[in-house]
Amino acid sequence: MVIDTEKIEEPKSPEKPQEVPIDWQANIIAFACHYCAFAAADLAGVMRLRYPPNVKVVRLPCTGKLDHVYLLRAFERGIDGVFAAG
Amino acid sequence: MTRITPKQENKDSIGSVLVVGSGIGGMQAALDLANSGLMVHMINDEPSIGGTMSRLDKTFPTGDCAMCMISPRMVESSRHHNIKMHTLAKVVKVSGHEGNFTATIEQKARYVDPERCTGCGACEPECPTKVINIFNLGLDKRKAIYALFPQAVPNTRAIDPVHCLYLTKNVCRKCEKVCEAKAINFADEDQLIDLQVGSIILTPGLKTYQPEIRQELGYGKLKNVVTALQFERLLSASGPCSGTIARPSDGGHPKRLAWVQCVGSRNAHNGNPWCSSVCCMYAAKQSIIAKEHDNEVQSTVFYMELRAFGKDFDKYIEKAKNDAGVIYKRAMIAEIVEDPETKNLLIHSVGEDGRSVKEEFDMVILSIGFEPHNDAAEFAKIFGIAADEHGFAQTSKLRPVDTSRKGIYVAGTYQGPKDIPETVIQGSGAAAEAMALLGDRRGTEVEEVVLPEETDIEGEESRIGVMVCHCGTNIAGTVDVKKVAEMAAKEPGVAHSETIIYACAPDGQQRIRDLIKEKNLNRVVVASCTPRTHAALFQDTIREVGLNKFLFELADIREQCSWCHMHDNENATHKAIQIVNMNIAKTKLLVPVTSASVGVTHNALVVGGGIAGMRASLSLAEQGYGVHLVERADMLGGLLRNVRTNLEGDDVQAFLADVIQRVINHPAITVHLGTTVEKVDGYVGNFQTTLTNREIVSHGALLIASGGEEYKPIEYGYGQSDNIITQRELETLLAGKGPENDKCYVMIQCVGSREEPNNYCSRICCQDALKNSIAIKEKAPDAQVVVIYRDMRAYGLKEDYYRRARDLGVLFLLYTPDEKPQVDVAGDKVKVTLPGKVLGMEMAIDADYLVLSTGLRPQPDGDEFAKKFKLTCNIDGFLLEAHVKLRPVDFPSEGFFLAGLAHAPKNLEETISQSLAAAGRVGALLSNDKLTVSGVISKHNRNICMSCLACVKKCPFGAPFIDVDGRVSHNEVKCTGCGICAGVCPAKAYQVNYFRDDQLLAMVDSVTDMT
Repeated sequence: MVIDTEKIEEPKSPEKPQEVPIDWQANIIAFACHYCAFAAADLAGVMRLRYPPNVKVVRLPCTGKLDHVYLLRAFERGIDGVFAAG
Repeated sequence: MTRITPKQENKDSIGSVLVVGSGIGGMQAALDLANSGLMVHMINDEPSIGGTMSRLDKTFPTGDCAMCMISPRMVESSRHHNIKMHTLAKVVKVSGHEGNFTATIEQKARYVDPERCTGCGACEPECPTKVINIFNLGLDKRKAIYALFPQAVPNTRAIDPVHCLYLTKNVCRKCEKVCEAKAINFADEDQLIDLQVGSIILTPGLKTYQPEIRQELGYGKLKNVVTALQFERLLSASGPCSGTIARPSDGGHPKRLAWVQCVGSRNAHNGNPWCSSVCCMYAAKQSIIAKEHDNEVQSTVFYMELRAFGKDFDKYIEKAKNDAGVIYKRAMIAEIVEDPETKNLLIHSVGEDGRSVKEEFDMVILSIGFEPHNDAAEFAKIFGIAADEHGFAQTSKLRPVDTSRKGIYVAGTYQGPKDIPETVIQGSGAAAEAMALLGDRRGTEVEEVVLPEETDIEGEESRIGVMVCHCGTNIAGTVDVKKVAEMAAKEPGVAHSETIIYACAPDGQQRIRDLIKEKNLNRVVVASCTPRTHAALFQDTIREVGLNKFLFELADIREQCSWCHMHDNENATHKAIQIVNMNIAKTKLLVPVTSASVGVTHNALVVGGGIAGMRASLSLAEQGYGVHLVERADMLGGLLRNVRTNLEGDDVQAFLADVIQRVINHPAITVHLGTTVEKVDGYVGNFQTTLTNREIVSHGALLIASGGEEYKPIEYGYGQSDNIITQRELETLLAGKGPENDKCYVMIQCVGSREEPNNYCSRICCQDALKNSIAIKEKAPDAQVVVIYRDMRAYGLKEDYYRRARDLGVLFLLYTPDEKPQVDVAGDKVKVTLPGKVLGMEMAIDADYLVLSTGLRPQPDGDEFAKKFKLTCNIDGFLLEAHVKLRPVDFPSEGFFLAGLAHAPKNLEETISQSLAAAGRVGALLSNDKLTVSGVISKHNRNICMSCLACVKKCPFGAPFIDVDGRVSHNEVKCTGCGICAGVCPAKAYQVNYFRDDQLLAMVDSVTDMT
């Protein structure tokens, strides 16, 4: 039996590639430990370090408190990126 | 070991302390004493507490707003149930003795009833009399009825009797008519009050030099010449020009700024002979902040010597030079001349090449120095204490906070010029001395606080109040706070929202309390600064009106928004709205949390048997606590064993021998020699520590005084000749065969310090060099002594010894790190060559002894040591304190404290102050019979737990355990609330109080809603 090579096609993603708008800003959520990463975020402010304003910090008592559910919920609801720091 | 009541000689001693002065040092002493169960009377001659620090704009190195740091302390002092404040008051007479003093207080009439005054300020616009505003150092005017500054504590107005029309001319009374609270009381009179106290702590603070005396600098005549303290007010958001630096002559924004250092300091002829210790650093700070205000600012600092001697100070100067582009010029200023047209200022100075230079500036800031408080001379008489030749309170370097009169202690700038952390340290240190004196009188004069019953909010709809703080311009300058409040009002569950100038100030706190009652709020969100510093304050505030502490959330829109998105107002405002709304979403789901309390083991474990550890142990034992002192060597004494005298000539070895003897003999101190700590278990109040000798000790607090070591140099041919020695070896040599008249001693400073890889100042080496130079010249006046230095850091009153060394004929020659002296060993002689700046040629000195001023290093195994206690070190390997300015001897981990060289290089006096401070902080903690455990702990639901043991395996604190029935139980006392158990539990049987899954998911939902 001869394999009809012509019939094998590259699998295609159902999603269509989209142009990224020039002014697009990723919406990012950060999960930060109260004692280190949250303190570091404070320190960034104290040192007047500049970074893009599109990140919001959720304070956790420890990064160990981070639950898969939080990440899944964030992505499910369309977040562009999650930053876990601790 | 149980708590031992100290022996008391005076049976009539009283469990209360008078703190005279309520700047940052006075407040620190008062709060420590009050927390240890002693009653405190805090008096102050101004209408508000706060002192000099309340006048500062920001503090270095963090650039924190000074008011934001001091405001919570002021509020805490005024709310503490063991502190009674007496403002507009001064002491006129003191009688009695240690343990039992009677102090007569003259309380000036305030003419405003503090009980009635709401601080609304309605009276001020009505008052017709304008008075020079002393708080803003004459930069603007205030009214005759006034609050010292917007965040004043107590937040009541006072009437200035010297300027009030009614009190001087019997007309007006306009304030009385407009005051709805009926608080104006013109019948008020001065009063004399007698207070019975066991001890007195003096913290009257400082006066600044009057620069008019130096006419060549033009202060008082040239409008654009201001003092550094005036410049602080110009920088301050709550200052006379709301934080936009305005030139006094025309209100324009100055671009070219110059600082002139040492104005009124280091000059016995028309100023003060001492170094004021702080001006080098505040000039660097001001120049950095000025650059932050306006990127076009170009700063120049004219200085004599850069005295950046403290922990991480040199790094801050580097930051000023490299990041803020500050130009440092080593020059003395001959004259400042004004351009009559532009009012710009011309500075005449002599450059390093010896030529005269003229430069033009828009504004000149005079770095004025510190002097003893105005009434210092009278003060000494009233309290019956000795003053030194300059008018500062006289203390011994070995007992830095004790005055000449027993039972009276001193802290802060009245003891000598010093900065904020050192003032705070002495505040705690003086408190420790008073605690040691009055240990058995704790709790005898204080009353217990009664908080109102907590309101039951179960089943109630959420009624959240949202307060969006301006923080002066810190937030409102970048974030549209009004819009944030408006958007918050639309969120579900929000019953009220508004903006507030300073939420943390007393009027802000009162507004929150009032709103809770008025609007029947059952939850509160404050949008201001970080919860790490301010949440506890607001939690206490809402608890006072019956709301559970955990019905509160702080939305951080300053550190995490306005400060890092400056000049991007639109996006910052958008982000602030998101931050506030996500916290509202969480707050809507908050429920009351009850906090448990645990007992306290009244013992301390002190790690390190050097002078810091021993002095702290003695203080703690005198306060009435048991001490375990652990030292890894087989004898006590540490580095001090190598030191014979200090700069001031005290016999250090006799002092050390006495301290060692007292430690060994004290029944409450158990010394463990040849031992270190193996493992620390437990939590604040209840630690169990295993020592390397397998002994397990129980203690409530842990004090790290693990010390440092002296640097053994590899530079400048050390080891190649017997004539190349260190300062410490020279000290031994001088004590032995003594100095010789025909010899030449050459000293090189900063050996192994202030350059990579040890780029910090070791602080003690300049003092060592001066000490040994003076010792040589006093005994052998014909001996030649040359000190080759980078900056002689003879800070504070040590300047006297720098001058003395020069008077004795010691030669001081400057070198720069890029042109170091060269050393060649030639037989018995050591040839030292260096480029001579003034001569323009190379200089060579034939030295008989080359003495290397080597610095201090952290312990070589410091990193490993820090890890054992889960502590962090700075880049140089010294342990990092909780807060550089206001918590200098605390670690961030509760129950852990710090003293001595482990913190940073410092001399004996400073080490003793710091160890007393740490003992005071430990004592205040150990005085509690119970500590309330944080309510943020994990709650375990046994009904849905499958006992899979995931939590038991993962918990770092051993809180979950297998119970007798074979299933998992949870020991909440061990729980720290980290929530690792909740993260790993497949059944979701754990929920962390205040960080429940539904609360955190609400935040996630809120963030994702906005896109």
